Amino acid sequence: MPGLIIRGRIWKFGDSIDNGNIDGVMEGVEPEFKSKVAPGDILVAGKFFGMGASDEHAPRSLQQAGIAAVVADSISNIYQRTLINIGLPAMECPDISSIVEEGDRVEIDFISGQVRNLSNGQSRSGDRLPGLALDILQRGGLISYLKEEFSGKKTPARG
Amino acid sequence: MGMTITEKIIAHAAGKERVKVGDFVQANVDKLYIKDLRFSKKEDARGLYGVLLEVLRSMGADRVWDAKKIVTNLDEQPARTDRRAEGQEMARKFAREQGSILYEGEEGGIGHNVMVEHGHVKPGEFIVGGDSHTCTYGALGAFATGIGFTETIGVLATGKIWLKVPPAIRFELRGRPGPCVVGKDIVLWVARKIGYEGAINRTLEYTGAGIEALSVESRLTMCNMAVEMIAVNAIIPPDDRAMTYIREVSDGDSKSYRSDSDSEYEQSHAVDLSRIDPQVAAPEYPSNAHPVGDFRGFKIHQGFIGTCTNGRIEDLRMAAKILRGRKIQPGVRLIITPASFLAYRLAEKEGLMEIFRQANATVTSSECGLCVRPSLAAGEVCISSGNRNYRGRMGPKESSVFLSNAATVAASAVTGAIADPREFL
Repeated sequence: MPGLIIRGRIWKFGDSIDNGNIDGVMEGVEPEFKSKVAPGDILVAGKFFGMGASDEHAPRSLQQAGIAAVVADSISNIYQRTLINIGLPAMECPDISSIVEEGDRVEIDFISGQVRNLSNGQSRSGDRLPGLALDILQRGGLISYLKEEFSGKKTPARG
Repeated sequence: MGMTITEKIIAHAAGKERVKVGDFVQANVDKLYIKDLRFSKKEDARGLYGVLLEVLRSMGADRVWDAKKIVTNLDEQPARTDRRAEGQEMARKFAREQGSILYEGEEGGIGHNVMVEHGHVKPGEFIVGGDSHTCTYGALGAFATGIGFTETIGVLATGKIWLKVPPAIRFELRGRPGPCVVGKDIVLWVARKIGYEGAINRTLEYTGAGIEALSVESRLTMCNMAVEMIAVNAIIPPDDRAMTYIREVSDGDSKSYRSDSDSEYEQSHAVDLSRIDPQVAAPEYPSNAHPVGDFRGFKIHQGFIGTCTNGRIEDLRMAAKILRGRKIQPGVRLIITPASFLAYRLAEKEGLMEIFRQANATVTSSECGLCVRPSLAAGEVCISSGNRNYRGRMGPKESSVFLSNAATVAASAVTGAIADPREFL
């Protein structure tokens, strides 16, 4: 499946980064980040990424900055769902932050769940996404998924 | 291996015989709650209804999946920001055109309280809501969790949602709580025990004989603050007291579940309610909780009684018990915001409002109020009955917020400093 194996340079963040600090492309953690990040880069975070409120403004700012994927030791449920639903691949991969350094290149295979650090050869197994989430990501997010999936079919999911 | 109550509700909603931890399922939603702000254009320039109509049109449809299962509410009355006014206008338009339920005026208040009081929450239901405190409804034996903007559109269009079955953490309650100890003190104690991230992507289940002694209001508070521990949901198996309440507010038609005796828990904790003191959480994290005595004498500028956590009639009664015949300390303000107009009118009937007036407290319209709107100056300290005390939550970053139950807030406003409400009984 194209688009679900993502390679890129990583930016590394710590634990417990909440929605408010993610808003404005991680502005609350590192105000200069938005001028450094380039399209196709990957964000790696520690534990409890995306805790707090459910406002979608913040995750959309990551997408608009060109972040291609998010991998973290753990991601709050509501946040991971939101990232996937807006079309930004996101996976939990326990221990990922211990095998990468800022600037490393990694390869994330969202189908197998494997994350490989191309700079040092280490790898870890992430928490694989269900088929439906992969379908949503391949169509660029839940909205385009719904538009295409149910195109012309009235009352899509009753019963 | 048996199933927990949460697993049973998810299995039923997904049309499956059984599910286990880690399974991904697609579930049918029984009820969807949407707050007014979600209709504003903050998260998407087209607004929630604009994007939804685009999705529906491409499906060749113009109606949502099931209008009678959708409840919207105006969380602030009157609207005080452009965003709120924009959201409320669109919420009204949505309700009018789609035929869904909308609460405002005398029927309104804070959405989560309105949902419960108007009988929209029943045991065994699978409920999602466009607000993180949707988890409150678990107090009545429902599965309930918060969802984001885009996912709300997905549910409006299809009535379905995908999720991963969460592992469970059990708190087994026994004993009876002492004076001035309610659900708030129990949940702050729990947050302290497992940490602010202690329930990340887990379900919190409260069980045991100690539940029987707890009011429905206390249970709502305990489930409300599950999201402060990053839980997916919290749940309390319905007992006679819960079922009596449900029959009072709804048609009572429901299916209740309880966990099997051999269901699996990732962690189990025992709690003796008689050993819990009134709790106060120090600024920045709800899990910074300690017995009230540890903070006794710490000067405050504002007390706030309200929010979806603790603005219900039980909280207003507790506050009135402390405030009766007393006045708040000069130079200190006490703001009381009933969580719904139903609670407001009941408080009026019971004479509580007169007690608040005599005490020189300020009573406001029923809404989210100071929990979502700044009211502190730099350097000021508030003791609040709400759920979040993150830095800058109620004002500039140099202001701070302590959390407690409503009686502790009232006792502190009378004293001008954090005080033990038991000394006022």
